[in-house]
Amino acid sequence: MPARPARLSLSLRQVQVRLLITLAVACGAIAIFFPFFWMAVTSLKTAPEIQRVPLQISPDHWLNLANYYEVFKREPFLRYLLNSAIVASVAAFSSVVVSSLAGFGFAKYRFPGRDVFFLGIVGILMVPFQSVVVPLYVWINDLGLLDTYAGIVAPDLVSVFGVFLMRQAIEMIPNDYIDAARIDGASEFRIFFLVILPSVKPAIATLLIIKFMWSWNEFFWPMVVISSPQMKVVTMGLMSFTNMYFIEYNLLTAAAVISILPILVIFITLQRWVVQAVVMSGLKG
Amino acid sequence: MRQWFRLAFPRTFRDRQNRAGFLFVLPALVFFGSVFLLPLAQSVMYSFYKIAPGGAKEFVGLRLYEKVLTDSTFWTAVKNTVQLLLFSVPATVILALAVALGLNRIINLTWRNVWAAMYFLPFATSLVAAALVWQWIYDPVYGFLNYALSLVGIPPQKWLQSLSQVLPAIAAVSVWVRIGFDTMIFLAALQSIPQEYYEAANMDGASAFQRLRYITLPLLNAQIIMVCILELIFNFKVFDQVYATTQGGPAGASLTVIMLLYDTAFKYFRFGDASVMAVFVFVTLMIVTLLQWRLFRKPVEY
Repeated sequence: MPARPARLSLSLRQVQVRLLITLAVACGAIAIFFPFFWMAVTSLKTAPEIQRVPLQISPDHWLNLANYYEVFKREPFLRYLLNSAIVASVAAFSSVVVSSLAGFGFAKYRFPGRDVFFLGIVGILMVPFQSVVVPLYVWINDLGLLDTYAGIVAPDLVSVFGVFLMRQAIEMIPNDYIDAARIDGASEFRIFFLVILPSVKPAIATLLIIKFMWSWNEFFWPMVVISSPQMKVVTMGLMSFTNMYFIEYNLLTAAAVISILPILVIFITLQRWVVQAVVMSGLKG
Repeated sequence: MRQWFRLAFPRTFRDRQNRAGFLFVLPALVFFGSVFLLPLAQSVMYSFYKIAPGGAKEFVGLRLYEKVLTDSTFWTAVKNTVQLLLFSVPATVILALAVALGLNRIINLTWRNVWAAMYFLPFATSLVAAALVWQWIYDPVYGFLNYALSLVGIPPQKWLQSLSQVLPAIAAVSVWVRIGFDTMIFLAALQSIPQEYYEAANMDGASAFQRLRYITLPLLNAQIIMVCILELIFNFKVFDQVYATTQGGPAGASLTVIMLLYDTAFKYFRFGDASVMAVFVFVTLMIVTLLQWRLFRKPVEY
């Protein structure tokens, strides 16, 4: 009996179901996207425009960037962006260095206590940061690091997820490669640099992106350690536009667009890696 | 013990290798030890001491626990947090599952990726920015939401300024931010289910509902539990959204545990009281996590 091509066997009902599903998925996606649209549109309106009744969706001038100028004029927003960029870059970089070293150690060596240590690190996922924030604050204060970059970045230098991801990636590297390098007389450290790191580039990229993103969006800890205006990170900078009796949402949304844009650009262009990271953290419960 | 001795004084080539491995792991161990384990122990210690602003400590036993755990504000915060969880966790997980099932049925890969990307986008934004944009949408006078409702004849609501609506309104922000993350996890799991299972079920005449109930859901069991735990932890720690919008108001209606902890520690500088709350948060989350694993983790067979 000749097999019929699957495509042709679709009944009318199946086509209807498919159409309905696509429609539902699309509607949901548009609803999820709406706040971004609304934020962008509001940032292009003037103060009187956003108070118009009844509400008008489109701005009078689509290229009115006055709010963006105003954001930089009112607050040292460029400084905030710079602060966030510095902190997030350091966090991402150190995270990659420490995590790949640890991942290598956990994946390819047998030393006493290895499995206990690894379980211990994974167990730290259960310790909420807020449970350790008071002693950390006291430490940072004692070390004189309040209101410094070092103070903001200190608890953010490594994440459990990073160690987990790198171990997972390095485990895939065949032991033969490592042994071959040993036979050639390479030291363990050279092996790390010349064999391990080049073979886990995708994992490194993933970790860099996701850690940068997390660190950029951090709010709780910077709020605790930072008090002077010029050390604020961008999430705190956004809050400066809410300290008034009446919030000027046209400015606030412009500031929000500025704060989100860098991360969104990275996120969209490199989304493949981010999804991989999420899936990785997801599939291994 | 002998193993450790050999790690410190390697005798063979193998020993030296293992020492290198230990040294590779060491920076991470030191970091997690000093940033999580030690401070956690200190938090527990602080919770037994009364600490004066100058730094003088006085051991007071369980007095601070008694004080915090009999404080009605604390229990209001716990109640609010639990309510917030009940709004956001089931909504996020169920919606994400529905979206993942839908996306999985879209055959055109380009479009599937486009839709998936849109669901995933909020995950990249900071909670502060997300909450502030939502606050604008919720604005009682000029907000979009009330405008949209007015089009279908519903009178304007007060949302974040209303005692009864503030928690669902904040929960919606959390759902919006987290739905994409959960969807990605479910979608990846769905794609790893072998197609033959469905073909076999079709052959036996299983309905769409039966396929979902007897094939898809059981095979997603591990992911569903994990996502539930992640969402529970995420939502229990809710702070940024609340701080950016209501700061616990109106009249304490959206005061959450972490919000109270933050105020207690860094507004009133009562470190002892805050440490009691810190221990409470840690113990609660640990019990909940362990319970969920115990109760719901059935052996998964593929």
